[in-house]
This record gives sequence, structure tokens and C-alpha cells, in this order.
Amino acid sequence: MSDQTRRAFVKRSATAAAGATVIGALIASEADATTSEPVVAYVRGSQISVMTGEREVTVRDRRLAAQIIRAGGN
Amino acid sequence: MSSHREAPAISKDPVADNTDTYAFVSPDDPDTVTIISNYLPLEAPFGGPNFFEFGDDVRYEIHIDNDADGAPEITYEFEFQTAVRNPDTFLYNTGPIGSLDSANWNRRQFYTVTRVKNGHRQLLGRGLACPPCNIGPASTPNYASLAAEAVHKIGAGHTVFAGQRLEGFYVDLGAIFDLGDLRPFQNLHLAAMAAAHGVNATHDFSVHSIALKVPKHELTRDGTAPKDPMAGKSVIGVWTAASRRHATIRNAGTGSVHEAGNWVQVSRLGNPLFNEVIVPLGDKDRWNSLPAQDDAQFVHYVEHPELAGLLPVLYPGVFPNLAKLTAARADLVAILMTGIPSGIVPGFQNFTGSSPADQLRLNMAIPPTRRAAAKALGLIGGDPAGFPNGRRVFDDVVTVELRAIAGVTYPLVNKSYTPDAAASLVTDGLGANSTRYLPHFPYLGTPVGGYQTKPLRAA
Repeated sequence: MSDQTRRAFVKRSATAAAGATVIGALIASEADATTSEPVVAYVRGSQISVMTGEREVTVRDRRLAAQIIRAGGN
Repeated sequence: MSSHREAPAISKDPVADNTDTYAFVSPDDPDTVTIISNYLPLEAPFGGPNFFEFGDDVRYEIHIDNDADGAPEITYEFEFQTAVRNPDTFLYNTGPIGSLDSANWNRRQFYTVTRVKNGHRQLLGRGLACPPCNIGPASTPNYASLAAEAVHKIGAGHTVFAGQRLEGFYVDLGAIFDLGDLRPFQNLHLAAMAAAHGVNATHDFSVHSIALKVPKHELTRDGTAPKDPMAGKSVIGVWTAASRRHATIRNAGTGSVHEAGNWVQVSRLGNPLFNEVIVPLGDKDRWNSLPAQDDAQFVHYVEHPELAGLLPVLYPGVFPNLAKLTAARADLVAILMTGIPSGIVPGFQNFTGSSPADQLRLNMAIPPTRRAAAKALGLIGGDPAGFPNGRRVFDDVVTVELRAIAGVTYPLVNKSYTPDAAASLVTDGLGANSTRYLPHFPYLGTPVGGYQTKPLRAA
């Protein structure tokens, strides 16, 4: 994921629904600390697992999941 | 094999493939227990230039259940880090390796040991050096003493070693995987051939071992060294595992890999041959991913093992009583999943309660048997210090489990059953002298050098 794309992802995450706030906080804190640390998102239905380093947060957010799926061209 | 390449997924991931687990009261230090967990099956000793090593991307684990609930109260975690001195050569070493800090050794590995006890993490050791692989007389001229440098005393009275060892598990793979052939009895097999001696297929192969010696009192639920063999607290359940990270991203054009997320178990092992022989193909990968405390769903495979049905077919007329035995095998459930309760074998028990789980169950109050008197058949050979009371490096677990499945242990739970005469005789024809061991920690033998190895010269 390019930096530009990741920043866009972080921005969308932070302004999404309540569940996504958790994801946004995780990603934003990682992005602030080390911008070189990639973030992996694994989407199954409305469930999103966001992994950075050894940390992993899973939330259910139908709207954010749909955004990510659309971003993947689906 | 014991658990070498035993499931479809892990057979493609040897660095994480947990091949054998041992747990026994240390014969030369009986206030301690030694636990050994092996990985990387069937290492050909000449397998360079990238010789075998642990995975930096794998977390290796030893689990201890000391309160009979099937879940670990103590976990030891081992994480490795590889250090390359010179990336501009293809060589593993650029001269003889005379010490673990030799400048000639180009690709070294170090590790960290962490104990998680009742949720509390404690670092027991870091920056611990592994030995190199045994390459040959020019590269590793004094290998035994070099490897001995890699035995480390670490925190809380523990001793640890992690590195290459000679395979201690002996088995006639070539015959057994050829439709259950046992060479000493193959004249009775469907595809009858003249009876022959067993062939140790693992002869001179190596593995990578993590060996940990722990004071007994560090393992019990109440922090005391057990003295009474009939006390429940004297028994611990032991199993080992390997985990990888949830996500792996391969970066095109760089050869690099990014990993992230939680640790996810990909391999585990308590009793030898459990996932290999008891669990069918369709469940093997799932079994490897589950915690031991979830094993109740696999009890029916133990109660009705496929091999017990095959033996009478493969050896016509040899196992008539086994052929008629259709009842659930409570003897095998006790041996493999709950431990043996008191009252079955006089003076012995290793029962851990009714929660079924694939664990080696070690009664730490049973003293070790001196090597000269030890029986490789363990408990069924009259030696309560051996398998299935834990497992020593030289125990003949193939023969023990063959005989148990053939019905020799069923009278322990049903005295009206008479085992077939062959049940107490079946074997793959190998024994504890099929390979070599050390009389001291880490007990598994010194691996053979690549130079000295003659491929497939099986004993």
C-alpha cells in the first residue's frame, strides 16, 4: 500500500462509524510512530481485522468494509 | 513418523513442523524435568549452502498444564533472530568454526526465552547463541564441544539448548507406509514377503531441537517438588507447538516478506503419532490449529482408531480377537487423552482429569530408571519412568503404540478381553540401539556432519 493510499485509508477510517474509530486510532498511532510500518486489513463480510506489528484489532463495520471492498475494485 | 510431515499443510512448512516432543525426569539431575521439542523433519546433514535453522518468523512454544484442565498454565516461548556477518558471500562459513563467536561463521542465530506463567510474562534469557549445523571436519572440526557451548543457564534455574541434533526417533517408514508392512512379520502380510529386519529410515538424519531443563518445583501448581506418585499434583501435561503471524505479505521485486497480526498456531504435538495415525486427513490441518483443550471433538478417533481395523485386514488371520473388538477403546483414551487413573497399574497413575487433550502426561514423582535398566517399551515393558509416563528420547513409541492399538492394553479396562498372541509381538523391528543418544543434557545425540554422511545408508 503506498503512503498516499494509506493516508487516505487512515483518513476514511478515522471519520467512519464508531467501530471504525478503534481502527483509525490504531492505524493513526502506528502511522505517527513509524510511517514505514505497513498496515494489513483483512475483510470478511463486515468484519475487519487490522494488523500492524504484533497488534491486531477486529471490529464489525459494514460501511467501512464496503468502502474497502469497493477500493479493491469489487 | 511421530509427527514429521504428518498433515498436508505443515508438510509444506518444515521450519514450523513440530516433529517430536519429549518430557522426562532428567536421569542425571532428578530434581529437574527435561522437555524437548523438535522441528524441521528429515534434515539431510549435507543440506547446504543454506544449512538448516529455526524460523525467525515462527514462535516456538512449550506448554505445561499443571491443574488438569487441558489448558496451559505455563508456556515457554522461543523466538529466533538470524545475524549475517557478510552478505557478499554465498558461504555459510569462510573458515573453520572453532567457537560460537567465530568470525568465520557467517550466518548465526540467537534466541530469546520467555516464560508466561498464569498470565505473567518473564524474560528468562536473550541473545542466546545456537550452534552451527555440523558441516564437516574442515568447517566444524570439534562439533561436539562446539555444540556444548550452546548449552545455556538462564533464569529461574532453567537450562536451555536450541540447535541441530541427531534424530532420536527411529521408525521403519519405508515399510510402514507401504500398506502397513512390518518387516519382521511381512511373511504374514497380504503382500507376503520373507520376514526381514527393520530399517531405520531416520538413520543419520538431523532435526532442530529446543531442549529445556526445568526444576520440578517450577512446574507444579503449588511450587513444590512432587514426592508422592499417587498425588494429582505430581502430574503435568506437556505439549509443544509452533505459531506464525496472521498475515503474510510477499513484496514483489524485493524478495522481502512482511508479517503482521496475532500469532496463529500451525503445528502442535503431545503424544507421538497422534495427528499422524489417529486423526484422518480431513481433520489434520484443523487439529494442528486448535488448542489442546479443544480435543474432546477428536475422542471418537481414539476410541475407534482406523489402524485397529486395518491390522486384521492387512494380516489375515493374525488378529481375530482384534477384528471382533468393536467397543470404544477406553484404554487408548486413557493413554493418549486423559492419563491412566490410579488402580489400573499398581503404584502408578498419570491421570489429569476428565478433560481430554493430547498431552504427554508426566508423573514427576516417579524416579528415573538408570539407563542400563530402562526398558524402551516404557510402562508396558514394566518401566514406569517411560512412555506413556512422559516420553524419554530412547523410548520405542512405535512399538508401544502398535501393540496398544493391536489390543494389548485393552484388558486394562476390560479383563474379559484376550489380546491376540501377535498383539504383544508386533514391532517394526527397531529398538533404542537404532540411533545414538547423550547421557546428559540435551540427551539427543550429536548430529552427523554433512561430509561424513553417506546418503540413505540406513541401519
